[in-house]
Amino acid sequence: MLIWFLPLFLLFLMIGLPVFFGLLAAPGLLLWLNGQERDITLLYRNVYNGMDSFPLMAIPFFMLAGELMNRGGITLRLVEFAQALMGHFRGGLAHVNILSSMLFAGLSGSAVADTSALGSMLIPAMEKQGYTRRFAAAITAASSVIGPIIPPSGIMIIYAYVMGESVAALFLAGIVPGILVGVGLMGVVKLMADKYDFPVASAKTTWGQRGQASLKAFFPLMTPVIILGGILAGVFTPTEAAAVAVAYALIIGFFVMRTLKVSDLPDILGRAGITSAVVLLLVGAAMAFKTVVSLSYAPQIMADFMLSLSENPLILLLLINLLLFVVGMFLDAGPAIIILGPILGPIFVDLGVDPIHFAIIMSVNLTVGLATPPMGLVLFVASSVSGERVERIAKAILPFLAVEILVIFLITYFPAISMTIPRLTGFAQ
Amino acid sequence: QEYTLRATANSNENDEDYDGLVVFKNYVESASNGAIAVELFIGTQLCSNGAECLQGVADGSIDIYISTSGGASGIFPYVQVLDLPYLMADDRIAEAVLAGDFTRKVREMALEDSGGMIRLMTIGNTGGWRNFANTQRRIAAPSDMEGLKIRTVVADLPQELVRVLGAAPTPIPWPELFTSLQTGVVEGSKNGITDIMGMKFPDAGLQYLTLDGHAYMGALWWMNNERFLSMPEDLRRVVVDGFYALQQATFASPKRKSIPAYEEFVAGGGDLYVPTPEEKAAFKEAAAPVFDWFKANVGRGEEVFNALNEAVAEAEAEVNAARDADLN
Amino acid sequence: MGALLAVLAPFRIVNEALFKVGRGLGVICVAAMVVAILIQVFFRYVLNNALPWPDEAARFAMLWMTGLMAPTAFRRGGFVAIDMVVRLLPVRLGALLSLFLLFVMLLVLVIAAQIGWSEVTGFGGRFATASLYLPTNLSFTEWFRVPRSWMMASLLVGIIMMISANIELILRAVISLLGGAENLPEIPGTETIGAE
Ligand code: NA
Ligand code: NA
Repeated sequence: MLIWFLPLFLLFLMIGLPVFFGLLAAPGLLLWLNGQERDITLLYRNVYNGMDSFPLMAIPFFMLAGELMNRGGITLRLVEFAQALMGHFRGGLAHVNILSSMLFAGLSGSAVADTSALGSMLIPAMEKQGYTRRFAAAITAASSVIGPIIPPSGIMIIYAYVMGESVAALFLAGIVPGILVGVGLMGVVKLMADKYDFPVASAKTTWGQRGQASLKAFFPLMTPVIILGGILAGVFTPTEAAAVAVAYALIIGFFVMRTLKVSDLPDILGRAGITSAVVLLLVGAAMAFKTVVSLSYAPQIMADFMLSLSENPLILLLLINLLLFVVGMFLDAGPAIIILGPILGPIFVDLGVDPIHFAIIMSVNLTVGLATPPMGLVLFVASSVSGERVERIAKAILPFLAVEILVIFLITYFPAISMTIPRLTGFAQ
Repeated sequence: QEYTLRATANSNENDEDYDGLVVFKNYVESASNGAIAVELFIGTQLCSNGAECLQGVADGSIDIYISTSGGASGIFPYVQVLDLPYLMADDRIAEAVLAGDFTRKVREMALEDSGGMIRLMTIGNTGGWRNFANTQRRIAAPSDMEGLKIRTVVADLPQELVRVLGAAPTPIPWPELFTSLQTGVVEGSKNGITDIMGMKFPDAGLQYLTLDGHAYMGALWWMNNERFLSMPEDLRRVVVDGFYALQQATFASPKRKSIPAYEEFVAGGGDLYVPTPEEKAAFKEAAAPVFDWFKANVGRGEEVFNALNEAVAEAEAEVNAARDADLN
Repeated sequence: MGALLAVLAPFRIVNEALFKVGRGLGVICVAAMVVAILIQVFFRYVLNNALPWPDEAARFAMLWMTGLMAPTAFRRGGFVAIDMVVRLLPVRLGALLSLFLLFVMLLVLVIAAQIGWSEVTGFGGRFATASLYLPTNLSFTEWFRVPRSWMMASLLVGIIMMISANIELILRAVISLLGGAENLPEIPGTETIGAE
């Protein structure tokens, strides 16, 4: 009986109830119908308890660091750096868009921030050079999913929190997959550029100009080095690293680049705070939802069902990727991880899949889901910064999604892609 | 069945808490002839720490819950008396103390402080004894602790203990502890051997373990009082006996589980050091300021401290008499 | 219509002012979190002396940040939803569906507020925080241990603010449904929000 809260939840989502409310209304209603009033209190309590976590605090910090760098003009410097490196290729700005996302990913843990920061700058620029608006928006959305794959990453912080894994290990495991997505997207652009005769963005830059652009981008590019270096060298925990990233962004903004003013701060803190507040509430609601998932014995039912299909991990991994992809179409990555991680993770770990490897499969798959319709946060943002309709972006993004799906399968079946760096640094066995 | 008891433990199925619950469930379900059913929720599905779960016990959304002393200290600060170092000499003494009136005394105090909502059913063990382990050097005397960064939970008593021994207490979340040991954010921890091996801490460099046994890892088993009292007396007796069986199981389980854990630790090159009685006495002396701190700073601290010391004295007399009687 | 607009006005004005205060306090919370953790890093790494309180103090600030700032996002339509069905339906029907959804949200919020109240005033609120103290006199000789209820109140306050915003949104939806959409003053700052 209780298990009906799952379809009810989907129904609520489909008719347009915000995810936060759907996560509470569906299980709440079923608990009430089932006469389990005392468990509705449990639902409320777990929203609060789900948010009350030290590791989760890295999310607002990384949001804030990204916001500070963006406002301080760092995004612009990264784009200029990318342009100096790749602007002269055919399809130059499309390549620049992808490379900028990869660089931006090292400062920010959020695909949404990536889309809005880079999209508002690059989409108009691409249009001016003759790209269609929907193509420009699509490549922006497609490449911004790299944001939470290359560390830092809000999604991996959530995964680590729910599953009790080390944030540092997940961060390290995401580096190569993130680069792989970027390279894959560049490959698609290259094919398309030759076929459709894309414009070249700029004349080939001299090494002097490149040097200058690198110099200007030096301080922002040091951010990931400080974050990861600090964690690896044992100076701080990931949450502390995130706070240090904020301090670093403040220092470059105020003293090195001198592009920030004290009067900018309330607005920047406000934006980071509001965004993080929404994410934290969502995490809390998902944690509450998860409580009812376990009361309903859904995990056991799910595990039995999965193992009845096959006991071969390779086949199950294929099925799980399909499932995650469909889930990602309807649900944000954060709630999907919180609800499904504890159900799926143990099944695969028992089958011999490394927990870190599984974390990366799940995180990357659901991150790509941020760019798939109908529920694609990144698509919504790309639509609002470009003025193009979501449906049209969704169609133009298909070739890029295809390559991202390919990367998901590479990551799934070649564990070395994600596991090598954490193993070499001793963060995974 | 007439009663369904929902029991939860924040550990996993490899833990002695689970062993205890399995024994409890089996005993209660059969001895009540099916009148009582026990549902187990192992992990953090229902609630994830002492404050949350005890709140659930108080309002009846959870019937039975096991907390550590740290987990219950936010509302019953005096249970941390179990964390005071070197008060109980060994398992035999600890088990005699916890099977006796001391537990009833704490039950009474907790019922008073929870307005009659939360009942302490029994105190068992979870994970044996806490020992100091570190990544740097063998610790044989309190002076060896000087300057070591030791991970503790966010609570004042364990931090105070680490501080009076000359080390630096450092709060680190449990899932980050492996990484923090590996990278040197902290250099040591105070945990039981099964937790150390379960988390593979030796791989992160935790290679020096001193069996100082500075705290008994008590497991406090709580139940919603109203729920308990709502049962007829014959079923209450079944539940009480169920908790007795559970307590015995959790006394025994860590002893068995720690054997392979210690073997694995040594096989991995770990340095396992057993301090001499003199060295242990030196630790006890160095830690003495914590007792005064406890009596002065913890609510009802003096009351519970005296109760424990009396219980220990009685237990020692009783156990030593039994030992003497068995010698010849 | 005029009457509805007259009912809406006080809600709008109160919410504008209240939420602005909330955002202001929220900004202070964000800053406090950063400062607390930087102090933690400094004391531990530079002075080799870890402090007991920054962890919990920063969580305290984070929960209040959430309680005080999430209502603004809610009022601005920043809670993600799939609005496909609402947009595909005929205008009137879509507006009716939106109104229905708002009532579902109101129901959730009101129940949450009731539970929240009993949580904050109940047993769970009586737990002490692990490491937060406030001085009770100016010479800092007496200290008071902050109870957990002070932290738990953050979510309750957020829910109550969201109820207030929800009523405003319901009034706006009713006015739109009756064809008065063009008379509605805009809610400033509407945008898609996400940190993923
Ligand atoms: Na990133
Ligand atoms: Na999606």
